[in-house]
Amino acid sequence: MTTAELEFDGLRRTFGTVTALDGLTFAVPAGQVFGFLGPNGAGKTTTMRAIFGVASLDAGQIRWRGEPVAEQARQRFGYMPEERGLYPSMKLLEQIEYFAMLHDMPAAAARKAATHWLRRLGLGDREDARVDALSHGNQQRAQLAAALVHDPELLVLDEPFAGLDPGGVDDMSAILADRARAGVTVLFSSHQLDLVEDICEAVAIIHHGRLVVSGLVADLQRGERPRLAVRVGGDPGGDWAAAMPAQLGEIETVRAGTVLFALSPGADSQQILDIARAAGTVEHFSFEARRLSEVFRHATGASVGQAEAEHAAAARAAGAPEAGGRTTAGVTR
Amino acid sequence: MNQRSLRMTWLVARRELLQRGRTRIFAVSTIILLVAVALGVALPAILSRGAKPERVGVVGGSPATLAVIVKEAGRLADVQVTVVPEPDVATAKAALRSGDLGAVLVNGVEVLVKQVPIGGASSSGGTLPGALAQLAGLSRLFDQVPAAAAAAANGIALPVHGLIAPSGTLANRLTGLFTVVLVWVMISVYGSQIALGIGEEKSSRVVEVLLASVRPAQLLTGKVLGIGLLALAQAAAMVFAFVVAGFAAGSSLVHGAAIGIVLIGGVFVVVGYAFYCTAFAAAGSLVSRQSDVNSTIMPVQLPLIIAYALSYTVLYANGANAFYHVLGFLPPTAPVAMPVLYAAGDVPLWQVVVSALLCAAGTVWMARIAARIYTRSILRTGARVPLKQVLRRDLAQA
Repeated sequence: MTTAELEFDGLRRTFGTVTALDGLTFAVPAGQVFGFLGPNGAGKTTTMRAIFGVASLDAGQIRWRGEPVAEQARQRFGYMPEERGLYPSMKLLEQIEYFAMLHDMPAAAARKAATHWLRRLGLGDREDARVDALSHGNQQRAQLAAALVHDPELLVLDEPFAGLDPGGVDDMSAILADRARAGVTVLFSSHQLDLVEDICEAVAIIHHGRLVVSGLVADLQRGERPRLAVRVGGDPGGDWAAAMPAQLGEIETVRAGTVLFALSPGADSQQILDIARAAGTVEHFSFEARRLSEVFRHATGASVGQAEAEHAAAARAAGAPEAGGRTTAGVTR
Repeated sequence: MNQRSLRMTWLVARRELLQRGRTRIFAVSTIILLVAVALGVALPAILSRGAKPERVGVVGGSPATLAVIVKEAGRLADVQVTVVPEPDVATAKAALRSGDLGAVLVNGVEVLVKQVPIGGASSSGGTLPGALAQLAGLSRLFDQVPAAAAAAANGIALPVHGLIAPSGTLANRLTGLFTVVLVWVMISVYGSQIALGIGEEKSSRVVEVLLASVRPAQLLTGKVLGIGLLALAQAAAMVFAFVVAGFAAGSSLVHGAAIGIVLIGGVFVVVGYAFYCTAFAAAGSLVSRQSDVNSTIMPVQLPLIIAYALSYTVLYANGANAFYHVLGFLPPTAPVAMPVLYAAGDVPLWQVVVSALLCAAGTVWMARIAARIYTRSILRTGARVPLKQVLRRDLAQA
């Protein structure tokens, strides 16, 4: 993994009795597509808003290239908030140009960049259309253009895949990958852990405002105890596995005759193959990647859905609006 | 403010100017206002200049004597008159009904008009029939009581002396009314635009994208500055139209004190806008749907509405009461109340200056409170933000 460009260090934030961030710490390496994952209500939006000073922190620090994030650095960041928003009655090109100028671009360069990005995102023929005359999908692209127009060094996107159809997800992930190849650090959030596991190279998964795990997706899918899937012919219940010594690993589950083992560290998978062959014909024998949602469940003891329901109940009890209607009091700079 | 801060503020203001100044509604409303101002000033002057002489019929009596009475009545009522001898009363009545004659003097003892105005003809001394009736009556008195003529030669009316100098003339009061209507309209129309614009930014959520690169104070300042420049341009155009139309039509309004009233009105449009713009912005930031804006700006507009409603009592009475004088010095009501007091001749110029300075000082105070409300509520979505909550620091963190 390359060096960390963006660091979150001990972020804390409470809204009344609800703790949004509870000492959140992780780092985002340069030039990667980095997924910031967790159930709704885990604190992702508050963290992303804090990067831009749009949400205040009770404690902790966010650093960009080793320095605490300041106004000057933010000019080189691009942001697509969870709550999409553009001026409804403003013409598309003027609007994107305006956002470019708000990021310190001179007028001529802003116009050029706005034209470039609108063409690139397939909106070249809608430059003079009002934003509220665009289709939903085109509004999403316009929002992305507003985040990309000033050629940011860091791209922060809050739930960029929410509400996209499968084609839209593919387009969006292609653009994110393209930006990362161009050297941009891309941080995006999602509560759909399994949807995005193929899109990002590395992730941080959070829950209750704390880091659960972070690292390369491939490493997390493998885990400390790699998963081995073995099926023996004529044994739909996977009963042969009962003969396996406990020090090799433990049975996670049996799925349609296939036994899934969590292999003990240092255990030899060939020993398991020998036991299987002794029991019958081995029809399937392979290592299998875990889904990120399973990684989450394994680490927290709750599924993503359970965690979201639990958060919603806690928010209701505290009298705060649920996710989607959340509050961010105080803009501090 | 550093250079970048100024640039951000100007970019926000520039967007407001370009987006709003280009709209058809702005062009149309400006044209309508300018035409209204020009007509309001020029029309009375043009109409009085082009007025036809009033035709007064005369029946019986000595035509020469009656003609003198009619001419004199015309002079008193400030109307040009033409004497039209009529053969008999029936013909004169027919001419009166058809509108050919304005009044008929019958045998020097009776004045006929088509319809007696409410309040009676003779009570309205400034009108032609009124003057005619009084002069003809006087002439008849002299005929019947020879001594009366001698008495009249020495003057029959008693002198009237006022204890204090006369306050503003009717023309000044009307100009004052016209001015405060414009002050009130400008502040509420452009104030509402601020609130609606901020409501739009909040409800469309574009504000979060903006705040990622612009500070709330810059966004707020740029917005009120941009809309304020538009308002200022429109107000300046209206004052210009007032002066140009007034001179072109030879209106008496531009020569007397009225021009001062209009200029003071212009000053209070600026000061009043400055005072109210941030309050409207704060009100706009409390809502989450644009349709809720109207109900939150109502309390903001209330002081102006009260001052405006009470202004009629000042403009149509001789001298404002103490309460209205107080309103003239309170920043929330001064923008409307002070031009009214000045137009009515109730305050000297130095008091107007003091009031404007107090209002300007109030602007700073209002801007600080409004900026606090704005900053705390602009990113809060969901239900309308309770004012109490954003004003209390501890609760605002919740």
